Amino acid sequence: MKVLKETLCALLCIGSLNSLSAQALPRLPDGHPDLQGLWLKSAGGFQGLFIGSLDGTNFAAGGGRAGGARGAGRGPAAPPRYQYTPEAEAERQDRLRRGYEDPEARCHLPGVPRALDQPGGLYPVQIIQDQKSVALLHEAMHDVRIIPTDNSPHPRNYWAWDGDSRGRWDGDTLVVDVANFNGRTWLDMAGNFVDENEHVVERFSLVDRDTILYEATVTDPTVFVTPVQMRFTLKRVPPEQQILEYSCLEGERSLQHYTDEDGGRKRREK
Amino acid sequence: MRLLLAAGAAAMMVTAIAAQRPAQTRPFAPTRLWDGRTPDFRGIWQVRDTAYMNIEGHAAEKGVAASKSIVVDPPDGKIPYKPDALATRQANYRARATADPSLKCYQAGVPRATYVPAPLQILQSPGNFAIVYQENHAFRVFHPDTRAHFDNTDWWMGDTRYRWDADTLVADVVAQTDLAWLDQAGNFHSTEVHIVERYRMTGADTLEYEARIEDPVAYTRPWTLRTVLYRVKQPGARIIEDECLEDANGVRHHVSPYDPRNLLKSDYSRWKSAGQK
Repeated sequence: MKVLKETLCALLCIGSLNSLSAQALPRLPDGHPDLQGLWLKSAGGFQGLFIGSLDGTNFAAGGGRAGGARGAGRGPAAPPRYQYTPEAEAERQDRLRRGYEDPEARCHLPGVPRALDQPGGLYPVQIIQDQKSVALLHEAMHDVRIIPTDNSPHPRNYWAWDGDSRGRWDGDTLVVDVANFNGRTWLDMAGNFVDENEHVVERFSLVDRDTILYEATVTDPTVFVTPVQMRFTLKRVPPEQQILEYSCLEGERSLQHYTDEDGGRKRREK
Repeated sequence: MRLLLAAGAAAMMVTAIAAQRPAQTRPFAPTRLWDGRTPDFRGIWQVRDTAYMNIEGHAAEKGVAASKSIVVDPPDGKIPYKPDALATRQANYRARATADPSLKCYQAGVPRATYVPAPLQILQSPGNFAIVYQENHAFRVFHPDTRAHFDNTDWWMGDTRYRWDADTLVADVVAQTDLAWLDQAGNFHSTEVHIVERYRMTGADTLEYEARIEDPVAYTRPWTLRTVLYRVKQPGARIIEDECLEDANGVRHHVSPYDPRNLLKSDYSRWKSAGQK
């Protein structure tokens, strides 16, 4: 718990110091913070293993090993405590046993917020921004989200892996409303999932020149009793580095890891 | 009379200028980004030709008009293959119904991604340039050529460095896989391929695309293709998600997000059977 507090303070205290120091944030001519650059998730560990907000609400009660918030080096992390409806809980347990059916393992688009909740330190995201949109080009799964920032309405009769994202600026924070999910995605590798009623509100805040605080609230009335909160930071990648290509379908290397019980042989023979 | 003289002088000056540089070749001046300098290529663009079927041209087929080659150099419109490579192309052509990597929902590669029958979107800000291709959500981040290529990889979309030559964007592309095809007819390159692309706006809504393709393994000489991208002007037009689903036989199919088959409606048993087998 102490570590958790330290982590929380490390995040929040630095954040408030920065706002106090009145460090000039980079801005576009329209006055909004300039989120552009190459960013890498820093804290938060591996999806599914440490998912949860840093205030601990989604960590397991009691055994909540807060080291999970810092990374894998601190031993096994507590599973996130999602509050499932009874029917969804049964489904989640089933999917937990069938992790090989994780759609991302099949190279499908990860959905939201998993697009950003990739393994810490592995897959960066390139942000390109203008007055009308903020585009997220994710290395992982070569996933792309071009988010209009005009607060326009979601379309009708559109159901996507990544849903439909509509953004607006709330002061210096980019707030993105994501709906129109197709109900196929998992939140992580541990069978946590959402269905087509998923609705996400994301908040991107440029804390300082090199740090974006990312927060997501996931609601899904047919799956969760209470909303799922997530929070982690993205750190700017040094300019001498660049985004690489992530080919998944085009060079599948995961199926070999499946056991025959997982259906691995059958899949490999295809 | 003075007015007439002035008009005559103006007309003569126009004639003189026109003689120096014929009007039809005077370059179009695109609008600029907010830095006041960088040409603004932003927008959604798509070709209208059918070169994706065969860049060397093809006969008319059911529902598709015949098409000329988009290979502008050599003048005969044929890719200057070496003999072995030509044999490989012919084998690819015969096997195209199953062997085309695009059938497996793979990223299209360069330059094929430009002229597939799907739109692309150019994202831009001062110092940033990227293209998002709707097909298989491929994208390329263009890096300034002030730094060396990230080479010795075999990527589908290659590694791109660019510079501005007046109002033309010139991109240098290497590090591509030899598994990609150039079209549905089995035209191809090796991993040694080096492509120089030129993007140039010829009007407010037209973007000329040229690719000079050099590959000492596959071709006897460099060759060039050229096509035109048209601005997609429908109100509200946007790049939509393009993701493939696997059917029961392991064959992948594009399923539009507007297709209700893409939606699983709280039906967990259906989740297990749909697209996961």
